[in-house]
Amino acid sequence: MKFLSFFFQVACIGLLIIACNNTPNSPTISSTPNQECVNNYNPNQDYFPEKATINYANGFTIEYKNNYKIVTVKNPWKDAKTSFKYVLVNCGTRTPKGFKETEIITVPINTVASLSTTHLPHLAKLELVDKLVGVSNLKIVNTPEVVEKIKADKIAELGNNNVKVERLLELNPDLVTTYGTGNPQTDSYPKLLEAGLKVAINAEYMENTPLGRSEWLKFTALFFNQEDIAEKVFSKISKNYQEIAAKTKAIKKRPKVFTGFNFKGTWYVPGCQSYPAKYLADAGAELLCVGNSSGSIPSSFEYVFERAATADYWLNVSQSWQSLKDLIREDSRYSDFQAVKKGNVYNNNARLNENGGNDYWEGGISNPDVILADLIKIFHPELLPNHQLFFYQKLE
Amino acid sequence: MGHYKKYKYLGQKWKNINSYKLIVITILFSSLIFAFLSNLAFGSVNIPIQQVVTILLGGEAQKTTWTTIILKFRLPKALTATLAGAALGVSGLQMQTLFKNPLAGPFVLGISSGASLGVALVVLTANTTGMSTLFINLGIIGDLGLVIAACLGAALVLGMVLLISHHVPDSMTLLILGLLFGYATNAIVSILLHFSENNQIKSYLQWTFGSFGGVTWQQMVILAPVILLGLIMALLLSKPLNVMLLGESQAQTLGLAVQQTRFWIITSASILAGAITAFCGPIGFLGVVVPHLCRNLFKTVDHKILIPVVAVMGAILALAADLVSQLPGSETVLPLNSVTGLIGTPLVMWVILHRRSRFF
Repeated sequence: MKFLSFFFQVACIGLLIIACNNTPNSPTISSTPNQECVNNYNPNQDYFPEKATINYANGFTIEYKNNYKIVTVKNPWKDAKTSFKYVLVNCGTRTPKGFKETEIITVPINTVASLSTTHLPHLAKLELVDKLVGVSNLKIVNTPEVVEKIKADKIAELGNNNVKVERLLELNPDLVTTYGTGNPQTDSYPKLLEAGLKVAINAEYMENTPLGRSEWLKFTALFFNQEDIAEKVFSKISKNYQEIAAKTKAIKKRPKVFTGFNFKGTWYVPGCQSYPAKYLADAGAELLCVGNSSGSIPSSFEYVFERAATADYWLNVSQSWQSLKDLIREDSRYSDFQAVKKGNVYNNNARLNENGGNDYWEGGISNPDVILADLIKIFHPELLPNHQLFFYQKLE
Repeated sequence: MGHYKKYKYLGQKWKNINSYKLIVITILFSSLIFAFLSNLAFGSVNIPIQQVVTILLGGEAQKTTWTTIILKFRLPKALTATLAGAALGVSGLQMQTLFKNPLAGPFVLGISSGASLGVALVVLTANTTGMSTLFINLGIIGDLGLVIAACLGAALVLGMVLLISHHVPDSMTLLILGLLFGYATNAIVSILLHFSENNQIKSYLQWTFGSFGGVTWQQMVILAPVILLGLIMALLLSKPLNVMLLGESQAQTLGLAVQQTRFWIITSASILAGAITAFCGPIGFLGVVVPHLCRNLFKTVDHKILIPVVAVMGAILALAADLVSQLPGSETVLPLNSVTGLIGTPLVMWVILHRRSRFF
C-alpha cells in the first residue's frame, strides 16, 4: 500500500514536470481577425474582381463563381486515377452546397505550412513569407526571405515523409501545401486530412514545360486572393523567358547534349517530352532522349556511351561533383566522353546551401527564365554576352 | 556412424559413374564459356558478332565506341559477374555445410546487412551530418564511396562474428547471433530511411537492386585478387568441410580442430560475400540456390568436387542473370536482383521438391 501511494506521488510529480517543460516554443501565429472577411454578404457581388488565367500549366483549372472559386488539380501524380478539388470560399460569405467538408477552404488564408521547398519561392514572390509557419526541412531551404525567418526561429520543422502531425495540429495553419506521389504509405496528405487539416496538393512537378511548372505560382496565390500580384509576377517571367527563347529560334547549329550519370549500372535518360528536353530545345540545343515519355527511363551506361560519346556537352551530373576530377575519380570511363575531354561539363549545383539543399530545385522552378539564360549562355554565349551563370557552373 | 557410412557409400557411387561426371563437367565448362561470350556479345547496344570477335582479338572496329564498350564496359562486367557468381555460390555452400541448414546463404551472418548499413549511412545521411560532409570533401561519395562504405560495414559485422565465434560453443548459436545482427542493422537502416529525402531513398534502393556494371578496371585490380584469395581458401578448406558434414561432435572425435576450422570457413565465406556485396550490392538467391543445384546435379556432397563445380555453376547463372537484366537490344535495363529472384525462385522450389541429399 505504502509502495502504491509512493508510486502515485512520483507519477504525479513526473507528470507535473512534463507539463511544465512542455511550454510551446512554437512560432507565434498572428491570430488577428482576417481583414478581408466580408461583413455584409451580397450574393450578387463578384468577390474576386482579379482573376487568374492559366496559359502554360496543364495540371490545374480554376472556375470562378461570385463568392467562391473551384480549383481542380487534374493530374496530381503519374498515372493518377483521382483528381483533387478545392472550393475556395471567400471569408464571410455563404458556403456553397454539394461539396465535401475537406474540399472547402476559407480564403484568404492567414497561415500556411509548406511541405515542399518548391512552394517557398511562390510565397517570396507574392510577399507572403510572413504567413509561413512551417516547412518540411529547415536545413535545405534556399529562399532568402524564408532563411531569414528560419534564423529568427519563427518557422517550425515538420518532417518530410513522416510529417509530424501533432506538431502541425499544434501550429494549426489554415492550409498545408504538399504534393502527392500516389503512394499512400509515403504521401502525407491522407494523414493530414484525417487530422482535420486543410490540405492543398501542388502537382507542379507533373508539368513538362518550365513555364508550366512556374505558373503554379498562381495556384498558391489563389488561396491568398493574390491573383493580381501573381499575374504581374508571372507575366514578367514568361515574357522574359519567351524573349530569350526567341533568340535561339534561328540557330541552325544545335549542340548535342546529354544529361544524368551512371549509378550502380543504371543511367536515367530523360524522355523526349520531358521538362529538360523542353529547356534544351528552347536553349537551342538537342538533348539525348528516349521515347515520348515525359519522365525518364532506366538505361545502361553502354547505351548512353554509344549515343553520347561524341556529344558536345554534358549537363546536370551528380550533385556531389564539383570538378572534372570528381567525376573521373568516380568512374574513369567518363573520361572517354568527348564532352569531358573538351571540358564541356556543366552542373546545376552552383547554388547549394551549406547542407546541400540545391536552389536549382527550389528557386529554379520559379525562375525558369534564369535557368534558360544559363543554358543559352553555355551553348551560345554570343546571344547573352552580359549574363552571368546563376544556377549552373562549369566543372573545371 | 550411419552418416559416415552413407558418405562413404556416396563416394564409392561416384567412382562408378566417372564418365557421367566427365560429361557434366565438359558441359558445365562449355556453358561457362558460352555464357561469358554471350555476355560480351549482347547488350543494350547492338554490335555485330564479327565486330565483337575483331575487337576481342585486338583488331580495329568499325566504330571506336564499340571498342570502348566491349573492352571497358562489357569485359569488366562479365568478369565481375563470373567472380560474383563463383564467390556467392562457394560462400553459400560453405555456410550451408557449416550450419547444416539448406536455407543458409552467404548473408546469414549479417554480411550484407552490415554492408547495407554502411551504404545507408553514406547515402541517407548525405549532406546532413559531419561524416558525409567529410566524404564529400574527399570526393568519394557515389559509386566508389559506396564501395568503401559497404566494405567497412561488412568488415565490422564480420569482425564481430569472428570475435564471437571464438567464444561460442556451437554453430547454431552463431547462426542465431548472425540473424540478430541482421535485424539490428536493418533497424538502424529503417531509422535512416525514415528521416531521408525521396531522392536519397531512391539512391539507396538503387544500390539494393545490385549490379555488376559498376566495376571498372581500376576496381577489378582490387576485386579479382580478393575473390581469388577467398576461393583458394575455400578449396583448401574442402577436406575439413567434408568432415564438418558429420556434425561438430563427430568431427571433433575424428581429430578436427572444430573451433579453428569454423573460424577459417567463416573468414573465407565472408571475404567472398563481403567483397561482392561491396562492389555489386546485395545479390540475392545465387548463394542459396547454386549449392543445391550442384548437389542434385552431381549427386555428391564431397566439397573437393562441389567447390569448383559450384563456382562454375554460380558464374554461369550470374552471367545469365546479367544478360537478361540488360534486356539486349532495348534501351532500358532491369534491376539485377529482380532477375536473380525470378530465376532463383523456381530453382529453389525445384530443389526443395527434389531434394536427394539427406545431409541436411
